Amino acid sequence: MKAILYMVEHDFRNFFRYKWWLVGLISMNLADLFIMALVYSHMLSSSAGITNYFTFFAPGLAVTGLFASAFMIGREVNMERRREVHHYMLSLPMTRTELAVGRVLSGGLRGMIYMSPLLLTCFIFLGFPTIPQFLLILAVLFFVALGISGLSITIAVSTSSLEKFITARGLVYYSLFFCSSVFYPLSLIEELGREGKFPSVLVTFAEINPLSNASDMIRSFLLPGYIFSQSWVLSVLVFSAIFTLSATFAYMKIIERT
Amino acid sequence: MSQIAFFGLIASRMMSVPDYFHYYVGGLSVMTLWSAAVFIGFDIYEEAEHGVFEYLLSLPVSRRQLVLGRSIGGGLRAFIYVGPLIAVSMFVIGSVNPVAFIVSLLALFLFSFGVSGMSITIAVVIKSSDRFDIFMGVLDALVVRLSTAMYPLAIVQATNPVYAGITNFNPLTYAADLFRWGASIITLDNPLLPLLGIVAFFAFFTFVGMVLYEQRIEGGGWQ
Repeated sequence: MKAILYMVEHDFRNFFRYKWWLVGLISMNLADLFIMALVYSHMLSSSAGITNYFTFFAPGLAVTGLFASAFMIGREVNMERRREVHHYMLSLPMTRTELAVGRVLSGGLRGMIYMSPLLLTCFIFLGFPTIPQFLLILAVLFFVALGISGLSITIAVSTSSLEKFITARGLVYYSLFFCSSVFYPLSLIEELGREGKFPSVLVTFAEINPLSNASDMIRSFLLPGYIFSQSWVLSVLVFSAIFTLSATFAYMKIIERT
Repeated sequence: MSQIAFFGLIASRMMSVPDYFHYYVGGLSVMTLWSAAVFIGFDIYEEAEHGVFEYLLSLPVSRRQLVLGRSIGGGLRAFIYVGPLIAVSMFVIGSVNPVAFIVSLLALFLFSFGVSGMSITIAVVIKSSDRFDIFMGVLDALVVRLSTAMYPLAIVQATNPVYAGITNFNPLTYAADLFRWGASIITLDNPLLPLLGIVAFFAFFTFVGMVLYEQRIEGGGWQ
């Protein structure tokens, strides 16, 4: 356990080395909320099912911030692999499992830290949830962050060059961001699917997408018209378990092999 | 492409703006052109890091030719990169007025050169790739969101007059409006005005870029 904490400390030191970069990222996210979302609020049609895009988008923004920051660990792991820093990591007095779990955990925790001002902004404008709801939001977001961190590490150790990692990251980013209910209600995607304008496989993907589940769960606690579903929590847990395990396995095996 | 397929298609369902899908597709091409043209600034840092800067300075070309060549090269490169997206956009949008479309493409060329010049100017002023990365990220967020790339000016005006004031003087607004005009998505009362805005943007950053480049790089000033 102590070794895992050392890894978390190591990754947190790296994370805060780029504090101005983080400030820049947060300002970009806030520009999305205070400019784009405000303007979109004035463009909504009556059939959209949303009356205020600002309040609709605020939970989604917190989740996208969580995603972007939890994914950052992959870039570091990929860089370590390319610069062969992983030989040093493997020489540390800890087991391979502790090393791998430490990396996944720190990626997730960093995502939570980065996301907290965005979540607070969301609460300030939408209202605060009850304490049990708040704890459930934190727990679900933590599992989402763990899964994303795992996904990013899996991609990072499976790609040999930065270009391949960036290409894979772009594909994952765009599919998970835009095929989710972060920017628009899930009902619109389902409607397009029923009309045959959107492939049913993508509709299912949007429904089980952890970004959709986490955003809709926060909305169900803070906005009228959303009913909480336990399947969202289950879906997030499955996503998190799959990618935490695959990242741990991939990190241990592939890093040793190279 | 995924932004067109996902965001464009789905978001157009919830917007009251008529034919928002085409409007968004037009804006997305220009947004991508902006992002691609900005990349030349990162090359400046890479060249300084790998010692290519000294080689470039030793070439038998004047400093002015060097910076002008880089601006045009960066702009052309961005245009080639965005070419397939523009082709897909045109396929999605459909018929166009050929004369207006050629004028709008020329305007996009100038816009792309101007953005490259701006990126080079900022890169030689900032000197740190990390700070440049942050600055360009924030600038990108503000320039894209405070433009008509994603929404019409009238809606920005209705949201916040301050936002609209900035949007009115944004080169990305001029480029997006001209491209949509060329693609017959919107009509413009006077296309000459945004065209002049783009020419002014290009001229300013090419001139400032040349002056700053000359001043900053002599005697190892880029290090």
